[in-house]
Amino acid sequence: MKKIEAIIQPFKLEEVKEALKGIGIDGMTVTEVRGHGRQKGHREIYRGQEYQVDLLPKVKLEMVVPEARADEVVRAVLASARTGKIGDGKIFVLEVAEAIRIRNQDRGEAAL
Amino acid sequence: MAKPPYESEREPLRRRFLSEGDAAGTLAEHSRLAERIVREAWDEHLAAAFPSGLCLAAVGGFGRRELFPHSDVDLLLVSAQPLESSSALAAFVGSLWDRGLRPSHGVRTPAECCRLEPGRPESCVSLLDRRYLAGDQELYARLDGALARWLRGERLELARSLCRGARARHARFGNAVQQLEPDVKESPGGLRDLHLARWLERLEEAPAPVPSAPAPEAAPWSLLSRVRCFLHYRSGRDDNRLSFEAQEELLEQGFARWRDPGELMRDYYRSAREVWRRALGRLEAWEGRGSSLWIEFRAWRARVSNAEFSAARALVWVKAPSQFERDLGALWRLFEFAGRHGLPLARETERRVEALLPRLRAAWAQGEPLWPPLARILALPRVSPALRAMHQTGVLKTLLPEWGEADCLPIRDDHHRYTVDEHTLRSLESLEELPRAADPLRRRLAGLLEEAGDPTGLRLALLFHDLGKARALEAHTPHSAGMAAAALGRIQAPPELIEHVCRLIERHLDLSELMHSRDPEDPATAQRLAQRGETLERLRELTLLTYADSSAVHPGGLSAWRGEQLWRLYLAGVRQLTRELQTERLPRLAAPSPQLAAFLEGLPARYLRAHSEKAAEADLRLCEQALKRGAAAELAPHGGYWSVRLAVRDRPGLAAALAGALTAFGLNILRAEAYSNRQGMALETFAFEDPHRTLELNPGEAERLRVLLERAALGRADVARLLANRPPPLRPSRRARIEPAVSFDSGASPDATLVEIVAEDRPGLLYELAQAFTAAGCNLEVLLADTKAHRAFDVFYVTAEGRPLTPSRQAALREKLLAACRPQTTS
Repeated sequence: MKKIEAIIQPFKLEEVKEALKGIGIDGMTVTEVRGHGRQKGHREIYRGQEYQVDLLPKVKLEMVVPEARADEVVRAVLASARTGKIGDGKIFVLEVAEAIRIRNQDRGEAAL
Repeated sequence: MAKPPYESEREPLRRRFLSEGDAAGTLAEHSRLAERIVREAWDEHLAAAFPSGLCLAAVGGFGRRELFPHSDVDLLLVSAQPLESSSALAAFVGSLWDRGLRPSHGVRTPAECCRLEPGRPESCVSLLDRRYLAGDQELYARLDGALARWLRGERLELARSLCRGARARHARFGNAVQQLEPDVKESPGGLRDLHLARWLERLEEAPAPVPSAPAPEAAPWSLLSRVRCFLHYRSGRDDNRLSFEAQEELLEQGFARWRDPGELMRDYYRSAREVWRRALGRLEAWEGRGSSLWIEFRAWRARVSNAEFSAARALVWVKAPSQFERDLGALWRLFEFAGRHGLPLARETERRVEALLPRLRAAWAQGEPLWPPLARILALPRVSPALRAMHQTGVLKTLLPEWGEADCLPIRDDHHRYTVDEHTLRSLESLEELPRAADPLRRRLAGLLEEAGDPTGLRLALLFHDLGKARALEAHTPHSAGMAAAALGRIQAPPELIEHVCRLIERHLDLSELMHSRDPEDPATAQRLAQRGETLERLRELTLLTYADSSAVHPGGLSAWRGEQLWRLYLAGVRQLTRELQTERLPRLAAPSPQLAAFLEGLPARYLRAHSEKAAEADLRLCEQALKRGAAAELAPHGGYWSVRLAVRDRPGLAAALAGALTAFGLNILRAEAYSNRQGMALETFAFEDPHRTLELNPGEAERLRVLLERAALGRADVARLLANRPPPLRPSRRARIEPAVSFDSGASPDATLVEIVAEDRPGLLYELAQAFTAAGCNLEVLLADTKAHRAFDVFYVTAEGRPLTPSRQAALREKLLAACRPQTTS
C-alpha cells in the first residue's frame, strides 16, 4: 500500500477531487494548510502598510491506495492540479506498513 | 426461575411509543418497570442485610417518574452511618446491571446529602426530585428534615451554583437555541433548561422546597420529551442529538404529524425558545439576588441609565412601566438604548414589549414613518443587540414581515450550524466584533470596516442576505434581494440605499465562489473580480459581507486560512480596480442619446459602475451648462455631509484650486473623484463635512460657495490668498499620528504613473498634495481621494508632458509630497 500526500493550490481542490472520483478514489483526508516551497512568500503593501506573506494557503490531500493503483492516482493529481505556474504544489508517495479499519478490524487492503 | 431481562420487558413500550408517540405514558411506564426491578433487587440483596439504617430513594429523572428509555436510573442509598464496602450492596448493584438497567447510584449519609460540592450542584438538586423506594422509612424522614433545614440556609448558594453551571453549558453551545442539529437535552432550550427553570422555581418555595408530584407539563415538555424518547429508541443508547438523519427518520414514525423536517424543526425551535426564555427569566431572577455589597456597588457604578431605562446586571430594564406602555415611541428608544450599550433586554422587559405588539401592529398599519427610527438604530456602533432584541420580542417581523419567513428556518447542509435568523444575527455580531480583534488578519479587515464608513447598507445587506432561503434554498439570492427591496420600500427607506443593498445581496456569494475556484494571483481572477465588485467601495463591502457571512456559518467558519484567502482576493481586486481607473476608459457606447454617448466616451469604466443612468444624465446636463458659462457646480446636502459636482474644461491645477476653495471655506474634504472625458471636460466630485454648519445655518452661503467653486475652477479666484487667512489645523495626539507613505507604480498603466499616498488627514491636505503635483510639472489624469477617521488615502494617476513619470521626477516628487503631508502646524 502507498500513502499519497499532495499539497495543491486551494482553488484546484474541486478539480482534483473530481479527477480522483473519476478513477474510483472516493476516500481521502483534506486539510487546510499553510506553507511555501520555492514559491516563497512575498511582501504586500496595502494602504501604506507593508506586511510579509510568507506562508501561503494550500490544501493537503492524503489517501492510502493499493500499490498497483498509486501511479494512476499520482497521474490524476498531476493532471488536475497543474497550472504550470510556481506554487502548484508537490506530491509525496510513502510506503504504508499496515492499515486497520477500527470498526471491524479489517487489515491490509481490505481496510482501505 | 430466571427473571426476564429489562430489555425484553420494555420492548412492548418501544413498539407502543413508535406507533402512538405518547412520551408521558412511556416515561411513566419505564419508571414503573425500573422501580419494580429495583424493589425486587432490594428485597433480594439488601432487605435482610439492612433491616434498618439504610433506605433507597429514586432521584433525578427516575424520581420525577420521567425515565427515558436509555437514561441512567438515578438511585440514592441513604445510610445512617458511613458505609464501608458491602458485598450485599455490590450484589444489589450487580443484579441491576445483570437485568439490563443502567444504575447510577450514590451512597451517602443524610449529612453528606446536605453538602454542596464545588461545581457539582446536580447531586444536590437531584434530591429535590427524590421519592422513597424501600428500606428504613424513619431514616428517609430524617433525610427529609435535614434537607429542609439545609435548603433554608443554602438555597441561594445552590441556586447560584446552578446558574453558573447553566451559563457555562449555554456558552458551550454558543448560547444558541436554534442549532440545526440540537442536543435536545443539553442545548439551550433543551430538557435540561426545562428542569433548570423548574428547580429554580422550586427553590423559591417557602419555607423550603419539598418533593412533590410533578405538575402537568405544557407543550414544550411534551414535544422535547417525545423527540428525546424517539432518539433513545432510534440509537439504542442515551443519544440526544437530533441529527439531520434522525429528523428524517422521525418523520417516518406513525405518530409524526410533520410534513417535512423543516416543519418539525420549526416546531422544535418554538418549544425550545419558550423553554429558554423561562429558564433565562429564572436565571436572571436568581443572579440578581443577595449580591454582596461590593457586587452591588460595582453594578451601581457600571450602571448606564437614563430617565426611561436602566442597565443592571448587564440587562436592560424599563424604569417606569406604565409610562412605557403608553408611549409606543419609547419602544424605539428602548432598542436604541440596548444597541448603544450592547446589552440584551431582561426577560421582564421582553414581556412588556411583547404585550405591546397588537397595538404596535395597529399603529404601524396606519402608516407611521418607520424608516427614520430604524435608520438611527442601524447607524449605531453596535446594532446586533438592538436587532436581536427586536427579533426576540417579535418586533422585527412586525416591522419587516419578510423577516418572519426566516424565523426558525433551518438550512440543511453540511456546513451551517444555525437557522437562517440565528445565522443572520451572528453575521452582524461578527462584523461588530472586528474592531476588537487582535489577530493581524482581522485587524486588516477592521481597517476595511473603518474605511467603509456608514455601515447602514452593509448591515441591511446582511440582515436580508439569506432571507430568500425561505422561498428557494437553491439560488436564493434574487429572492433575498427582492424581499429586501419590498420590505425597505414599504418602510420608505431611501431608493438609492435600497438599490445599493440589493446590489450587495445579489453579489454576496461572488467572493466565496471565486475563493474556491480561482487563483487569486491570476490576472483573469482580478479582472473577473473587478467586473463583479465594480468599484473599490463595493469590493470593500463585499469583502466584509463575505467575512461576516462565513464567520457566522459555524464557530470556526472563517479560519485564519480561509481569511487569508479572502484577503488575497480582496487585494487582487483592489489592484485591478485601481489600475482600471486609468487603463479602462469607456469607448463610444450605444447610449440613449448621442450627447450622452459623447459625454461618457473616455471616462474611466468606474464611472459607469458607480453611477446610474439617471446620475449620468444629470452629469451630462451639468457639462452642457459648463459649456455655456465656462463652469457649472451643484451642491447637495446628504444628512451629515455635503457633496458638490462640478464640470469645467480640464486644465492643470484644477483639482488643487477646487480643494483649496473648499478648504478656504472651512470645509473638510472626505472624498474626491476627478475624471475627464474624451472631449476634455473634467468632472470633479467632492464630498465634504461642514464642521461649523455654515451652509446649513446660512442659506446664502451655499450659493456663495457654488460661485466661489466655479470661479476657482476657471482660475478667477486667488485660492492661495483665501487660504492664507485660515488658522493652522490642530493635530491629533502623538499616539494617533500617522506616518505618511508615498508609493509609485509605473506598471499600472502604459500612459501614466500611479501614485498612492496614505497620510494623516487635515483640512487642506488634498489642496497641498495637488499643489505639489502642479509645482512639479505634473498633470492629474485621475484622482480618487478617501478619508477615514484622520487617515487619508489618495490615489492619483499622474503624467508629466503627456507621459508617465521618469524615475528622477518620481524621486523629486516624493520629497515634495512627503513635505506636503507634514505641514507646519500647531501641535
